[in-house]
Amino acid sequence: MFRKNKILLILTTLILVVSMLAACQAAPEPTEEPVTEEPETEEPVETEETEETEEAEVEEPETEVVEEETEEGPCLIIGALHGGPINDAGYNQAMHESVMKIKENIPCVEIIEAENVPEEAGATTTMQNMIDQGAKMIIATAFNHQYPALELASQYPDVVFEHAGGWEMSQNFANFFGEPPETWYIMGTAAGLMTETNKVGFVAAFPLGWTNTFINAFTLGAQSVNPDIETIVAFTFDWADSAKEADTTNSLINQGADIITMHVDSPSTVISTAEERGVYSIGFQSNAAQQFAPENWISGIGYTLGDTLTWLASSVMDGTWEPIFLRCGIGDGCMEMAPFGPNVPQDVQDQVLQVKDEVEAGDIVVFEGPIFAQDGTVVVPEGEVLSTEVMGSVDWFVQGVTGSPK
Amino acid sequence: MSLLSILGVLSSAIFSGTSLLYSTLGETIHQRSGIVNLGLEGVMLISASSGFAFTALTGRPYLGVLVAAIAGGIVNLIFGYLVINRKANQLASGLALMFFGFGASALIGKSSVGMKIYPLPRLSLPWIANLDVLYSSLFKFDLLIYLAIPAAFCVWWLLFKTRWGLGLRAVGENADAAYASGRNPMRIRFQALLLGGMLAGLGAAHLSIAYTMSWSEHMTAGRGFIAVALVIFSKWHPLRAIGGALLFSGAVAFQLLLQSSGVKVSPFLLDTIPYILTLLILIIWGGTRKNAAPAGLGRVYYGGQK
Repeated sequence: MFRKNKILLILTTLILVVSMLAACQAAPEPTEEPVTEEPETEEPVETEETEETEEAEVEEPETEVVEEETEEGPCLIIGALHGGPINDAGYNQAMHESVMKIKENIPCVEIIEAENVPEEAGATTTMQNMIDQGAKMIIATAFNHQYPALELASQYPDVVFEHAGGWEMSQNFANFFGEPPETWYIMGTAAGLMTETNKVGFVAAFPLGWTNTFINAFTLGAQSVNPDIETIVAFTFDWADSAKEADTTNSLINQGADIITMHVDSPSTVISTAEERGVYSIGFQSNAAQQFAPENWISGIGYTLGDTLTWLASSVMDGTWEPIFLRCGIGDGCMEMAPFGPNVPQDVQDQVLQVKDEVEAGDIVVFEGPIFAQDGTVVVPEGEVLSTEVMGSVDWFVQGVTGSPK
Repeated sequence: MSLLSILGVLSSAIFSGTSLLYSTLGETIHQRSGIVNLGLEGVMLISASSGFAFTALTGRPYLGVLVAAIAGGIVNLIFGYLVINRKANQLASGLALMFFGFGASALIGKSSVGMKIYPLPRLSLPWIANLDVLYSSLFKFDLLIYLAIPAAFCVWWLLFKTRWGLGLRAVGENADAAYASGRNPMRIRFQALLLGGMLAGLGAAHLSIAYTMSWSEHMTAGRGFIAVALVIFSKWHPLRAIGGALLFSGAVAFQLLLQSSGVKVSPFLLDTIPYILTLLILIIWGGTRKNAAPAGLGRVYYGGQK
């Protein structure tokens, strides 16, 4: 009798612990979300400059290729590491394809790639290993890679480190990333034009600053063409719990949403579920998401940083590399809009493309005041623009969003 | 909150409760025979990944379900070898099995991450098909869902209405006494593990092949442990497991509904509702003599050689 109780006790305790752990997984560990926080330390002016030089210099390496290829060995060894699987049809796939673009543009480089390196300790050994194999440039794409990379940068001053979406800088450590908010605005206009119920569902992983910014930009875009729009938000509290994503998607559809979009690691479950329910979807992270919705796809946005990385790699090769805080938007080719789905009418397509042109030209500023929060308080006063520094710590939703931002 | 959203909670409870129900039934069977498998999470992961990988390769979801069930059975037999033949501690072996499952499933599923599959087809009942698509898609279930509740009755019949079930429960209460009455405890425990593993495999197959239509690492996200908890919750009874699985997944769907209907409560707090509910019910129900755990649960059976 005593023994049985003891076993039961152990069992119950274990289950309690596990349930608690499961419940408390709120600690956001965005393994593949480098966009979580990024107080910009440098002026955006710098970014503009880089884009111009990029245009000029991107061609250059191709002439070098011919000379280098005759030599023995690669002209540059690049080590790239990702937080998740590179075939996830999401963020990691987008980053993997961007890195592979370097090889396409400069055939003489050699790329050593590692996937599924979510943790800091693993990242350090992986990068160390790559440097031991002769890597002179490291591209780290997960949020958790930033500090291990910065640490190694001080130990290896002759190796260049580039981190996706971080904010730290040193003489051989810099970062690069796309600028999603404006593209979310464009997607918002598409949603605003397509919805019939005036309700749009947003499946998000955690209520983080950048996620909230995306939701706000999306809603503002939708409201610009359809003032009655309501964005319904629900959080899964996991970057990759696909069953919860399916639950959440269904829940939003049952609330009346006829368009679903998402900010989780892989779009596959959310978009497949929407397709199964006969509801429109909008993708994010990688444009590979479109395959999951052959019928009800509206459009999507993905990271396409290939040319930027090629330019960075070529500047490492010719010794002109300098640490820049690099952010580039859809106009610079760092983000790309997916093709429209088969059920998007031509006039909607035209209107969305026009908004895209205006965003690229800088005629539309997404977070231009006055902007009101859910409870009606002014969060961005008239005549002011929400600065990029605070976008990573936004804890409010604009009017028209249903859901709690914290 | 509209009618659609309330029916939606019910639909979500059925959809995501199915995988929980199958795995709870599986765990119920082998716990009734005296074996605790804390590695259910690992079993489910291996089943989910192998079933998904097979479906992605061949495009045949029903065969994928079969592969998942067989994989679950095999993994449980490995566990059986450890705890029955090698007489290892069940709790420790179970946890080891879970970690084995993490690694093995990642390996099996590696190439099928992000693949698009043809999921298990959803079949509509005639009178539901006539409704508006938003409503009809709520109750358009796949075969595994239609079979879930019959499966629970089947397990109940097996355990409580057959000679084999009587022997199995006897082994779970007191293996030596069962041996003395002419049963072979080792063989019965292996049979229970095989059947239990196959049921857990069906649950995992529903998760990856039917419900989420995707494979990602750790995709069960603790559902294996929830199933172990539901076995205790349902007091080792397969029919009560139906209620347990529906209640838990219904609570998940309900908190999502609250989140998205603009309730002014932190979503962090709402997300814990299903777990708090489970804890509360476990505390309130407590243990009674009538519904106690099988007396031989977790005990090693040494056979004749004492």
